[in-house]
Amino acid sequence: MATEKTDVVIVGAGAAGGILAAELGRAGMKVIGLERGPRLATKDFAPQDELRFFQRQDLRPNVKRQPVTWRPNTKSRATPIPSQSYGNQAGGGTVHYGAVSWRFHEDDFKVRSHTIARYGASAIPEDSSVIDWPVSYTELEPYYDRIEYEIGVSGKAGNLQGRKIDGGNVFEAPRQREFPLPPLQVDQVGVTFDAATKKLGYHPFSTPRAILSQPYKGRPACSYCGFCQGFGCHIGAKSSTLVTNLPDADATNNFKLITNAMVYHINTDNSGRATGVSYYGPDGSADNTIEAEIVIVAPFVYDSVRLLLLSKTDKFPNGLANSSSHLGRHLMSHIGARVFAAFDDRHINVYMGPSAQKHTIDDFNGDNFDHSKLGFIRGSQISAGPAGLEGGPIASAMNMPPPPGVPNWGEGYRDFFAKYYTRYLAMTGQTEELPYPNQIIDLDPDIRDAWGLPAPRMTYDWRRPNELKRIEFVNEKMLEIGRAMGATHVWRAPSSPGTPGSHHQGGTRMGSNPKESVVNKFGQTWDIPNLFVIGSSTFPTSSGFNPTLTIQALAYMSADAIIKQYRKSPGPLIRA
Amino acid sequence: MIELDEARRAFLLRAALAAVAGAGIGTVPESLAQAQPTQHQHSAQPAVHPHPSSARGFGAFFNDDDAATVAALTERLMPGAPGKPGALDAGVLNYIDLALVGAYFDMQDFYRRGLNSLEAYCQKTHKESFVKLGDARQNEVIAALANGKATEFDWPRPQAFFNTLRTHTVEGMFADPIHGGNKDFAGWRLVDFPGAHPVFSQADMLSKNAFAGDQYIGLQSRAPRRRA
Ligand SMILES: Cc1cc2nc3c(=O)[nH]c(=O)nc-3n(C[C@H](O)[C@H](O)[C@H](O)COP(=O)(O)OP(=O)(O)OC[C@H]3O[C@@H](n4cnc5c(N)ncnc54)[C@H](O)[C@@H]3O)c2cc1C
Ligand code: SF4
Repeated sequence: MATEKTDVVIVGAGAAGGILAAELGRAGMKVIGLERGPRLATKDFAPQDELRFFQRQDLRPNVKRQPVTWRPNTKSRATPIPSQSYGNQAGGGTVHYGAVSWRFHEDDFKVRSHTIARYGASAIPEDSSVIDWPVSYTELEPYYDRIEYEIGVSGKAGNLQGRKIDGGNVFEAPRQREFPLPPLQVDQVGVTFDAATKKLGYHPFSTPRAILSQPYKGRPACSYCGFCQGFGCHIGAKSSTLVTNLPDADATNNFKLITNAMVYHINTDNSGRATGVSYYGPDGSADNTIEAEIVIVAPFVYDSVRLLLLSKTDKFPNGLANSSSHLGRHLMSHIGARVFAAFDDRHINVYMGPSAQKHTIDDFNGDNFDHSKLGFIRGSQISAGPAGLEGGPIASAMNMPPPPGVPNWGEGYRDFFAKYYTRYLAMTGQTEELPYPNQIIDLDPDIRDAWGLPAPRMTYDWRRPNELKRIEFVNEKMLEIGRAMGATHVWRAPSSPGTPGSHHQGGTRMGSNPKESVVNKFGQTWDIPNLFVIGSSTFPTSSGFNPTLTIQALAYMSADAIIKQYRKSPGPLIRA
Repeated sequence: MIELDEARRAFLLRAALAAVAGAGIGTVPESLAQAQPTQHQHSAQPAVHPHPSSARGFGAFFNDDDAATVAALTERLMPGAPGKPGALDAGVLNYIDLALVGAYFDMQDFYRRGLNSLEAYCQKTHKESFVKLGDARQNEVIAALANGKATEFDWPRPQAFFNTLRTHTVEGMFADPIHGGNKDFAGWRLVDFPGAHPVFSQADMLSKNAFAGDQYIGLQSRAPRRRA
């Protein structure tokens, strides 16, 4: 029986948890982090082994031991999803992420009011649950700046204090200063994508990535090895939490990380305060407890929801922080539309360099284009890179269906793949998905994880009219770009059968109304002021951008609020 | 390269055949027979060491019959030809055989049952084992797995069996040789993937030509790289 006392306990030492550990520790608070996985180091990532890291997902949650299940509707039985888009060790998903690091657009934070102002209320699908965020871009901008400079993000400004700059993303929200590092080197994917999109009048640019284009804070520049998304970086050039915020947290001397600690319960008392958490130790022991003044839940979407549901008491019979009944609702993901282009006249060698979303156009994302005649709202980021966002031949063979007329096995496939593996690129439309209240996470009644806990279960089907029309639109755009590249073959992948895509968001959404949301903009639960939830589960809408930089900016904002306000007067940070 | 490929294929095919014969199944399958070797078995290539145990190309999990079937199935999924290394050249059988006592140990029954169902289906439709069918009929059988029309399967379903075979064939072709397939970088030679290069230069990345590097780099081994 181990019980420890501390000021702050953080569940999950990933993107969000790492920042809170460093910031609160720096402010002099005693912090304990509980992480279900191990703590690895850069030297552990020397084997550049596509089978182990990409295909068998060595760094991701193990889908057999740690299942997350999915069913399209309440009439069907859920089965485990084949891969989960987050982390399973100290550093969380950032250890092996693609490091694509976006600031959201200004209108991404006010989808409801912006849409109504431009297109009228009828443009918002009736069955969706779109709300504005309780935080604006302007409020978050200093924290975006903070994270970019703290960890090192490479890119080129496209909007410096309102001045548009060619070569950067001219659709980005205004930034106060340049990126800390210039863009990463361009490759044949970028050259080909840029030429075609420019020809069509669009505005391509090198995707901002938390990967060092030059040495920064004692870490070396990227060597363009290409074993990137799905892998830990073998030289520490990827700005993962593992090599940035966690060492910072260590340096405060106020932070202790307990690894192989699987949190299964958030403890509360009769007064309705959170008192700490309980966890399973590496030996399976269940009687380990941390008592803390502040409990921060940052284990990513599924376990944020699951822990709140599992920790119900007589006082909180529907789960913690669920007086609104919105816990687990409004689940969103990014639906991928994919188009491939294969060339007879050139090699692309898609396996070189950082592999995820290398170059991008933002022309069809958010509300950067006129939707009035399109029959749908919101858009998609369109980018180019390898199929599966990883450049090796296994990822390509597994993630690129051959063009129509070519079989996916036998002589025909062999000849196709032998010829085009080094001569193709893939485009991905990463589409924003609207929130819907009946897309939910709850506890699976049948399937349990290796600790005996019910698996988080998603009930979800993205195939709604608004989303289907958007996917078609984005596919057409990418086919147009593929043809403009002069590719010999241009073809699209079939759409997913309703399954959730990548980057899950929602479940504990933030809002300005406690009746319609679980947390306020600081991630503080409306019901239990010393209980915070940080991560993309708090996103009210999803944007077409990868979520992590926004998770990180929000984590900084929450840390600031805890240090500057909460510590002085513990209680609700916002009066509803 | 072609001579080497031929020699290696011949060698591997013979190993698979030996297994079939050893199990007393009988005559040489057409698909294997037509690729029978004539020469160069002991090519000067250092990476090839015909050794009694490695000659079988399996030995950790599969029995002789199942090994021959898996060898034939995966060779149909990724067939070799002169200058185009296939599943036999790459040692896909060895990859799967090792994986089934390692990372995929929980798929042993999946394979056992899938192979039993396959045998039953082939006996029912062709009155022969899979390995004894010619290329064309083997292709028909695989198509029936892929489109789910093959009968005699309960669990795994035929598509699931096909998908797993395809996935494992891809893995055995293209995973680092450390895992028991991609022998002598056969898979990487097929598609011209140079392997685990820790550095690419700006010139490498901007080139519209095949990568200029002169090595295949694996985790435990390297080999000179020439475009096949
Ligand atoms: C292959 C891949 C590529 C990606 N690429 C990008 C990208 O390019 N850009 C981008 O923005 N995002 C990307 N993502 C998503 C990104 O990884 C996540 O958005 C991000 O890591 C989420 O941050 P988080 O702090 O909420 O969760 P994480 O960083 O995953 O951290 C959560 C931590 O909590 C731990 N944990 C969970 N449950 C418990 C429990 N019960 N007890 C104790 N510990 C627990 C987990 O092990 C994990 O370490 C990618 C994800 C994957 C898988
Ligand atoms: S491509 Fe660059 S950042 Fe990515 S793993 Fe390789 S060296 Fe690291």
